[in-house]
Amino acid sequence: MTTAKITRADLWQTFVRYVFAAQLGWNYERMQSVGYCYSMLPIFRKTHPDPEDFKETFITNLNFFNTNPIVGTPFIMGAHVALEEAGESLEATEGLKVGLMGPLAGVGDTIVWGLYNSIIFSLGANWGLQGNIFGPIFVAIMVFIPYNLVRWWQFSWAYKQGENLITSFGSGAIARLTELATLIGLIVVGGFAPSIVSVTTPLTLTTNATVNGTAAVTKVVVQDQLNAILPYMLPVLFVILAYWLLKNRGWNPVQVIGVLVLIGFVLGALGILI
Amino acid sequence: MSPIVAAVVLGLWAYIGFYDALGPNFIQAYRPLMAGTVAGLFVGNVGMGMMIGGTLELTALGVYTYGGATIPDYQSGAILGTYFAVQTNSFTTGLALAIPAALLLTQVDILNRFLNFVFVHRADAYAQANNPKGFERMMVLYSHIIWGLSRGLPVFLAVAFGSPLVKAVSDFFNNYAWINNGIKAVGGIIPALGFAMLLKIMPVNKYPAALILGFVMFAYLKIPLLGIAIAAIAIALIFQSLKYQRQEA
Repeated sequence: MTTAKITRADLWQTFVRYVFAAQLGWNYERMQSVGYCYSMLPIFRKTHPDPEDFKETFITNLNFFNTNPIVGTPFIMGAHVALEEAGESLEATEGLKVGLMGPLAGVGDTIVWGLYNSIIFSLGANWGLQGNIFGPIFVAIMVFIPYNLVRWWQFSWAYKQGENLITSFGSGAIARLTELATLIGLIVVGGFAPSIVSVTTPLTLTTNATVNGTAAVTKVVVQDQLNAILPYMLPVLFVILAYWLLKNRGWNPVQVIGVLVLIGFVLGALGILI
Repeated sequence: MSPIVAAVVLGLWAYIGFYDALGPNFIQAYRPLMAGTVAGLFVGNVGMGMMIGGTLELTALGVYTYGGATIPDYQSGAILGTYFAVQTNSFTTGLALAIPAALLLTQVDILNRFLNFVFVHRADAYAQANNPKGFERMMVLYSHIIWGLSRGLPVFLAVAFGSPLVKAVSDFFNNYAWINNGIKAVGGIIPALGFAMLLKIMPVNKYPAALILGFVMFAYLKIPLLGIAIAAIAIALIFQSLKYQRQEA
């Protein structure tokens, strides 16, 4: 149990490391883990003066980590710093990371990439296409300022709240926050996934029938039939397939990519999917 | 600008632009609008860069690496498209090269995300040796190399050994439309993996209703994403207030 005081300079050092290295070394095996651990090392040095203790924390924080790097990572990092300062155990800090990274990824990806970026980039691209240099400049400003404010605000807010949460509510409050984020994240992802995965079929089935002595051709548009059963059926099926392979069959992402590329390429080339 | 100088400058721009995506996100330099505009600046035709970048940007709106899934490399596509559009003084030629280039380089991104496991294994070794300084040196000096080269090298090669090669490649794809159709379908399906990876780290089995609710709001009620997000906050708050009220009473 340590009670090292985290200074503003420590917070700033961790924040700057996070900004410049959040996803460096990203890989399929443990995704953002190295960038996360690198950013937190200045804090660990203070809160774990004992070398063996430090080593254990270092090793544990190389575990799998992935969330949205803009709305997500700074929040978790801020709360993690507060837990470190309070001398919480590795179980508590790992619980915080594992509990929040999924829900915040869902929320963050939707808000930052799906909504905010789509708006500013469609405005910027339209101005750019009219030959107006203000288009790209507008995007640069609308990325640089809000992104940095949002990141710093989240980080310092979560750090302050982290302290409050621990002192006034105990670990129950963290569990409640995680639950809230999980629910929001799952609802949003439920709507987000079918809007992004884009796959439909151009097939039409043509049947020739003779009705009352006259030949009639009936055309059935397969996609319309699928929509009548379940809108966005194909995107949903592909997400379920990928999820099932990852979760139930224990495949790694590279193997799943292999299958999706194979299916997509063959069916796309045959004109069954677009 | 001689092709070799252009190759070095644009290759470096691809490297730095992708580094921006990995951390700083200062101007999102990996988005086609930004990549194309700055490439245009380097080769002396900003207008063409904005045209190519802007066109690709509109086809790639909302296309991001959710959960870490690979998407077409529109960044390299925009840089190469701009360069060749300026060389040939033809917007259509540039665009005709940019899109297949973006789709083809998808494969390089997958390879790169796979190869990066060397860094996490090196990091494990540094942690076991309790050597944070070594780990920090690796992060600063090396951890961006595979990522950066995955963008910088193809751009460098395509510009340096240039238009005949790229022309041959793009003609090949125009002659065999089925290959293009196959690659396009792959581009639409691959994000499914990102969502699957995201769902894998979330407690789906505990709250399946939440997922269904979001889907119904989007697919049947056609509520825009912002509306779904606001409704999600309300639903989650109501859920918690009911749940904890009952426990406290």
